[in-house]
Amino acid sequence: MLALLAALAVACFLVVTGLSHAYEQQRESLGTRWFSRGVADQNAKRFDAAVTDFRAALLYSRENYAYQLNLAEALIGMKHLGEASAYLLNLWDRQPDDGLVNLELARIAAQQGKNDQAIRYYHGAVNDVWPRDQEFQRRTARVELIELLLRLDQTADAQSELIALEANAGDNPELQKQIGDFFARAGDFDHALVSYNAALKSDKRNEAALAGAGEAAFELQRYFLAQHDLQAATALNPQDTQSAERLKTAELVLQMDPYRRQISAVERNRLVMHAFATAGQRLQACTTPASAATAPASPNSDLTKEWSALKPRITARDLLRDPDLLDSAMNLVFRIERSMSGACGTPSGPDLALLLIAKLHEGNS
Amino acid sequence: MGTQPDSQITSLDEIQPPAGWMHSRELWRAFFREDRFFLVLSVFIGVFSGLAVVCFRYAIDWSRLYLLGTGVVLTPLRLLLAPSLAGLVIAVLVIHFFPRARGSGVNQTKAALYIYNGYIPFRTAIGKFITAALAIGSGHSLGPEDPSLQIGACLASALGRRMRLSRERMRLIAPVGAAAGLAAAFNAPISAVLFVIEEVIGRWTAGILGSVVLSAVSSVVIMRWFLGSEPLFRIPAVELRRPSELIAYAILGVVGGLASVVFAGGIATLRPRCKALPRWTQYFQPAIAGLLIGIIAMLGAPQVMGAGYEYIDQAMHGQFTWEFLAILAGLKILATLLSFVSGTPGGMFAPTLFIGAMLGAAVGGAEHYLLPQLSISPGTYALVGMGVLFAGFLRVPMTSVFMVLEVSGNYSIIVPVIVANTFAYVISRGLQPLAIFDLLTRQDGLELPSMEEQREEDVLHVEDAMQPVQGPVLDAALSLEQALRALDHSEFEQLLVRVRSNAWGVVTKEQLQKEASAGKATANVGSLLSDQTVPYLHPDLPLEVALRYVDRWPLIPVVSRANFGQLEGVISQADVLRRYREFGEG
Repeated sequence: MLALLAALAVACFLVVTGLSHAYEQQRESLGTRWFSRGVADQNAKRFDAAVTDFRAALLYSRENYAYQLNLAEALIGMKHLGEASAYLLNLWDRQPDDGLVNLELARIAAQQGKNDQAIRYYHGAVNDVWPRDQEFQRRTARVELIELLLRLDQTADAQSELIALEANAGDNPELQKQIGDFFARAGDFDHALVSYNAALKSDKRNEAALAGAGEAAFELQRYFLAQHDLQAATALNPQDTQSAERLKTAELVLQMDPYRRQISAVERNRLVMHAFATAGQRLQACTTPASAATAPASPNSDLTKEWSALKPRITARDLLRDPDLLDSAMNLVFRIERSMSGACGTPSGPDLALLLIAKLHEGNS
Repeated sequence: MGTQPDSQITSLDEIQPPAGWMHSRELWRAFFREDRFFLVLSVFIGVFSGLAVVCFRYAIDWSRLYLLGTGVVLTPLRLLLAPSLAGLVIAVLVIHFFPRARGSGVNQTKAALYIYNGYIPFRTAIGKFITAALAIGSGHSLGPEDPSLQIGACLASALGRRMRLSRERMRLIAPVGAAAGLAAAFNAPISAVLFVIEEVIGRWTAGILGSVVLSAVSSVVIMRWFLGSEPLFRIPAVELRRPSELIAYAILGVVGGLASVVFAGGIATLRPRCKALPRWTQYFQPAIAGLLIGIIAMLGAPQVMGAGYEYIDQAMHGQFTWEFLAILAGLKILATLLSFVSGTPGGMFAPTLFIGAMLGAAVGGAEHYLLPQLSISPGTYALVGMGVLFAGFLRVPMTSVFMVLEVSGNYSIIVPVIVANTFAYVISRGLQPLAIFDLLTRQDGLELPSMEEQREEDVLHVEDAMQPVQGPVLDAALSLEQALRALDHSEFEQLLVRVRSNAWGVVTKEQLQKEASAGKATANVGSLLSDQTVPYLHPDLPLEVALRYVDRWPLIPVVSRANFGQLEGVISQADVLRRYREFGEG
């Protein structure tokens, strides 16, 4: 009897196996059909329809990796981050080294302000496996990671990622320019300049790279180079007002600097007198409201007194006669500009140029 | 369960050893005593039940595909026509061919155990399979678990009859099959075993437990072989960050308890009324229920149709707003009431889980809205909510806790589940004294034992009936003369005799006097005692244990468990009967 029972069980098992094959085949075909529709909808940015299609596909293969991943992406398209995240976490549990899943999870975490999680997933996306275009995808993930790190002011981490990105950037001028931008945002203008120049190697008329190089050179106080690059950038794109502004300042610095070489003594003295007058005007303009409205103007009044005392001596004749007077005058000019910059905000025009000249010669003074 | 004597195993005569394999028929029969054979049969029951449940799942899916369509967005025409036309077909099948397929199936299994000696007609399984697959597949708000339980019980009953098991085994075979069917349907063997023990059998004994576990495990293995081991829903991360969040879960328990009362109250009110309608209306009741459910679906809540596991999954992952979740819970109660009271075959487990999950996630969402500082995850609340409805509506407190544990696979959820379930259970018991399965039984005119009442009934103990020791306790070494002197002014006729520190006897005063007057005054009291000493009892023993002895011994000593020589009291037949009479009157 037991043998008969066992034989019956085996027979039933075989019948159910046959049924199961038919059932699975039907489900697979239905799943594939709905998935194809979903992909078409997703490609057409009809995320709502795509979500419905992928959900229908998942009815027939609930754990299908591709279906879940596409549903998650469609949900992200619909801004349903919570549910998308649930699907992605499920996929992550199954394949924690999937670059795309890590990248999507990182994006969601970043949008939800879960920055530590986002950084962890971005690292996964940078180091894990991608089914195709691995280098490109990893680079994309790294770029997003750097964006996040810079947004979080984690510049040291951002710089180390940037150096890794730079090493794999190849001859892609756009990427080189982007790396330059990132270095600039991280305050690493040396590396930024190198990256912009690398971008300019393959495309000398890349106006964004020229503007970036000019900006980096400006920040590095290499005003001749800044002038050169910014001139080229504004020539290519006259609408670039920021570069034009920078160029104007760089030119002013170069014109107003009495310490620059290869100028005559007369010209140097003229520049000192001009700088002295400019500083006096700044002092006057800045002192009036400050003294009236806010604080006791003791430092300003000291500077005013100093300036007034020195003013009679700042003549072409005295400057020629007393070479030390140039330094005294410029020293006072620099102190006035620094002090006024602190009290009245960042200056512009000639005052800004004088402030930058002050910084340029800080070591010397 | 004791071992059956061989003489009772006539039913196994058909089991013959293959020629040349066993040498003697006796050896074969000794090896396959009925209790061992029953265990082997339990495995086969599990296998057949597992296969049947797999086919049942296929049948539900196929009927859904062909009746409602393949997508998740259903056309209005199908929404209205599929459940109502299927309802008509189901009514004809149930009325004319499968009258026992009506309802959920849990009570029918209990009836097989307690009334029909394990007999369930096989055609009930066929009827349940067809009608429940049609009902669930067409969108009636019912689930596949209870029908699977009944199909398993039917298969087990058929196998038991074929194997000509003894009446005692036959009685137990339906629950064994029920556990197998439920385990396969739920993909949760522990919960299935607990449910069958808690709700169907009502007692734990090693013999039945082994069979139930074996059948449940083997059916789950078969089910996973064909359908995979994926849980019914994707389980979200479960966390309880602060103990103060338990208050929030307690609120969920209260809400769940009230919802359970509404749900059970609806069935209590509507089911008898539907049954009392003229007979011809029974042809249309499932169709009308289906039509109304179709209208609910068409008006924007297609989630209430069928078992709805995919929507539980979505609720767990925060896809719905808490307001919509609350509406879904309410509509599901309504839809399930319509389906169930119309007599459509199908189960209540899945709707209970659905309502619980929606209610849980809704309460979690509302609490988060009101108290944003609470770190509430809708998934955790949905999980706990499922347990809450199980405890409140089905009134199976232990199963409810283990079901959530088994489904979630996460032990950190246990404290919230216990807290919430306790509130739900207590509220439900307070407001709806009759548990749902007992209610259905009584509506059907049966008087099956209520497991809940059994669990909670007062049990009398020996200490409730025993009396303090009055009169002297004689030492067996005393002479009859000394004993009579000690009894000089005593009015007691029956006297306890201490033979040793833990052995007792009883003599009557008349016996002592008779022997003394016969010239044996110097003989000791022990010489009057028979060889058989009086058994002793302990105060904590059930009073029914005393019943086994009181008719043979006029007085039975009750001694301390810590010191058998310490007499706590005595008990007689009159004491036992008086106590039972008082208990009955009380």
